[in-house]
This record gives sequence, structure tokens and C-alpha cells, in this order.
Amino acid sequence: MTFAERMLKIDRRLIFLVIGLCTLLPLLYPVGLPIKISPEVRGVYDYMESLPEGSVFLLSLDFDPASKPELHPQSLSLLRHAFRKNLRVVAMTLWVSGTGMADQVVTQVAREMGKENGKDYVFLGWSPGGTAVIMNMGQDLYGAFPVDYSGKPTKGLPVLQGVTNLRDVNYAISLGAGNPGVEAWYVFGKDKYKFELGGGCTGVMAPGLYPLLRSGQINGLIGGLRGAAEYETLIGQKGKAIAGMDAQSSTHLAIIVLVILCNLFYFSVRRQVKHQGHSGL
Amino acid sequence: MPIETIIGAWVATGLTLFIFSFLYRDNPLFKLAENLYVGISVGYTIVKTYDTVIVYLIWNPIVKNGEWALLIPVAIGMLMLTRYMPKAAWLSRYAFAFIVGVGSGLAIPRVISSYILKQIEDTVRPLLIMVPGEGLSFTWSLLSPASSLNTIIILVGVSSVLFYFFFSVEHTGLGKVVARTGILFLMVAFGAAFGYTVMARMSLLIGRFDDLIEFTDPSYGRPSLWLMGLTILILVMMAQRSSHKSEEE
Repeated sequence: MTFAERMLKIDRRLIFLVIGLCTLLPLLYPVGLPIKISPEVRGVYDYMESLPEGSVFLLSLDFDPASKPELHPQSLSLLRHAFRKNLRVVAMTLWVSGTGMADQVVTQVAREMGKENGKDYVFLGWSPGGTAVIMNMGQDLYGAFPVDYSGKPTKGLPVLQGVTNLRDVNYAISLGAGNPGVEAWYVFGKDKYKFELGGGCTGVMAPGLYPLLRSGQINGLIGGLRGAAEYETLIGQKGKAIAGMDAQSSTHLAIIVLVILCNLFYFSVRRQVKHQGHSGL
Repeated sequence: MPIETIIGAWVATGLTLFIFSFLYRDNPLFKLAENLYVGISVGYTIVKTYDTVIVYLIWNPIVKNGEWALLIPVAIGMLMLTRYMPKAAWLSRYAFAFIVGVGSGLAIPRVISSYILKQIEDTVRPLLIMVPGEGLSFTWSLLSPASSLNTIIILVGVSSVLFYFFFSVEHTGLGKVVARTGILFLMVAFGAAFGYTVMARMSLLIGRFDDLIEFTDPSYGRPSLWLMGLTILILVMMAQRSSHKSEEE
């Protein structure tokens, strides 16, 4: 058995170990590689910056704990930015399994920024129906969410003063890990009720959302942990996303090296087999 | 630190390590964590759905506010449950008909507008734009979304990929060249999607490692270290047991 053949039959647990070490070591000993801001993330940041104080900012946390490592840092950064700008924050989720986590992140950032529930922000919680909830909110926000997550009636809350439906929202962002998510918010929300929409998503979903970004259907996109790190850089508040970028880069490098090596070994074995076939003839 | 946070850290660490143990080989620790995940997810969803739908959206408005009109959607929803009674199962068709009818009516125009009309509009952008006061304007930069170069690439990509999936004409001669170009564009798209998928999966790993590192802190009682030791010990014992068994056989 040649070296290339041995390498192609290597115990895959060794590869797991290599990837594990490439992830763990940069987390323990960070290098601080530079982070370049992409135009799609800047699009979200610039629009948030342009909003005047007291504007209504709707954040839909459409993900569950399975996507927490990518979307949790995004939600933290966006909420910090919104609270710093003194926007009126209306948070909600279309994913029932993410309700508790969404409540925890909104409450945590609000407490950190000294904001008051009902006055500066509200967490509406979850309502059944998926895309139907978006349409319902487009007609009547109080019909879709008669009470907030804590059971308080939404009508009369100071934070929702002057807000009757989605047309009164100045900027909405959906942080989506699937369906319903960013696309649903565009199709059933922005396209009909004409409010400005941005998106945040997991890395898996990002390529599918670029057509919406290019055509102007969404005005910005925060993609995966990388997007979260860019947003953290923009607001000048280092978090878990920036800390994870070194690990992300080193793991990608390891994967590229492994892909190249595997191809080299594969072609080497193939050439050898061909050569043996010819000499056999 | 509150005791519930410490317990949470130990549970999260244990379950993460049990799931990771699958990378070594399938084992009972992994199965325990996997089944717990499924059970807890379903349990959580049932409780939240009951609380939000039954209590806040149905019971309270009807009983406290007297919104009796809500009984109509409740009745339509209840028809779904007749699927469990074979003799009355036909009643559920009314509920399904309502959902399919309303759902299609609402979704079809929106989807056509968003995914077809808007995307076609973006695909067939003009190469030259007449800017008032400036005359004709065009750019040739890959970095600019409005660039004429990007417009040409998108047009060629969309047309060739569409042709690749057009099977009524044999892909020979010029058709073969166009179809091959379509394959190239598809490969680039698959490559980009795969690259993003790798990035996403690595992000999830980073997220778990982040927590494991955080839980090595003495304020949590160092659950990462203790439970990692325990998991490795159990895996070693199981490996020894299985090797003894195979020797006996």
C-alpha cells in the first residue's frame, strides 16, 4: 500500500481531531486577525444609523437554540445598536422553539442598556401561523399580538404609541434560520406593507438571500458568524463573534489544505492504477 | 452565581460532550443526549403552544373579553381532530379546504411578485442607463451591483442554466456549449453554497467550544473538565468491554 493509499484510508477521527484543535487553539490563544466590513453588513448598519431617535425598530428573532452560535451574536449587536440610538424596539419571534431564548436576549441587552420594558422596548413573544402572523401584523398588530410575552395587553403600551400595523414600522430586521424567516418577511411583509427590511441569517442560508439583496428587496444582509463579527466591529463592541473569527479562519485554512491533499492523493492513486493497468496489458 | 445557572452549565456541558462522543463512535451517552434533545424540544413546543394558543389567544379573549367570534376559527380547527375518528374523518376536509384555499390565495400573488417579477426585473437590467443631465452612463466593475459587467454575467448565467434544464432540444453543437456554460455557473453556485455551509457548521462548533471554555471557570465548578474526564473514562470502559466481548466470541 502506497503512502497516498494509506492517506485516503486514514481514520476519519484523526481529521475530526485536527479540525477540533484548529478551532480550539485560536479560541484559547486569539491572534486578532483583521475584519473587513462587507457592503451588505454596512447596508444594515448605515440604515440603522440614519434612523432618528424614537423610530420604531422591529426585530424578529426567527431562530431556535440550534442556530444560536451564529444568530445570537447578531441579535446582541443589533439590539445594542438600536438601544444606543434610542429607537423603540419591538421584538418578536416566529419560531415557537426560540421563544425563551429570544426573551432572554432582549431582556439581557435591555437591562445592560438601562431600558424599560413597555416604554423603551417590548417583547411580543410568539404567535401561531408563521407567515400568516406577518400578514396579520400588516393589518392589525394588536390582533396578532393582543398581549406581550409577559401577558400585558399590548394596546396602550407607550413603546407602541402610534403603531397600528407594519406600515408604521420604520425598519424591520428578521434574523432567520429557515422558514419563516427573512424571505417570508419580504414576501408577506415588505412587498405588501412597504416598510424597509434588512436581514440576518445563518451561513447556510446566505447564498440564497443574495438575489434579494442585489435586487434591493432587502437593504442589507448579515450572514452567519462572519456577518455578526462585522457588525460587532461597526458598533465597536467586541463580542463572541469577533472572538470566533480567528478560529473560523484557521478551520477554513485546515479544510482547504485537507481538500487539496485529498485531491492530490486521489489523483496520485488514480494515475498509479492507470499505470498498472497499462503495464498489465 | 445563582444555583440554576450552575446546574444549567453542568447540563449544557454534559449534553454537548455526550453529543460530541459520537465522533469517536456510536454509544449510549450520545443516544441519551439525542433522545433528551428530541423529547425536550417537543415538550417545550407543546407547552408554549398550549400557553400561547389555548390560554392567551382562545380562552382569555373568549371568557374574559367575550370575543365569541373566535369560536368560528376554533370550530374549523377542531374539525382537523376528526381525522382520528374514521367515521367523521371526512369533516376534516372542510378545514383542509379552508387552509389550502386561503393559503394559496394569499401566497400565490405574493410569491409571483417577489420571486418571479422582482427577480426578472433585476435580471434584465439595462447595460446603459440614461442619467438626466449626464447622458448615458455605464460601469464595468465586479464590485458595483449596478455594473454592466455584472448585468452581462447574470444574464449569461441565468440563460445558460435555464437552457441546461431545457430537455426538449438535444444538447449538441452550440447547444452543448451553452449547456456546459450553464453547468459551470451551477458548479460555482454549489461551491459558494457549500463554502457557506462549511462556515456555518464551523460556527456551530465554535459556539459550543466557546461555552465549554467558559464552563472551565471555577465559578461554575469546572464542569467542562470534570465531565470531559468522565466521558472519556466511560468511552474507554465501553471500548474495553467490547474488545473483551469480541475476544470471548
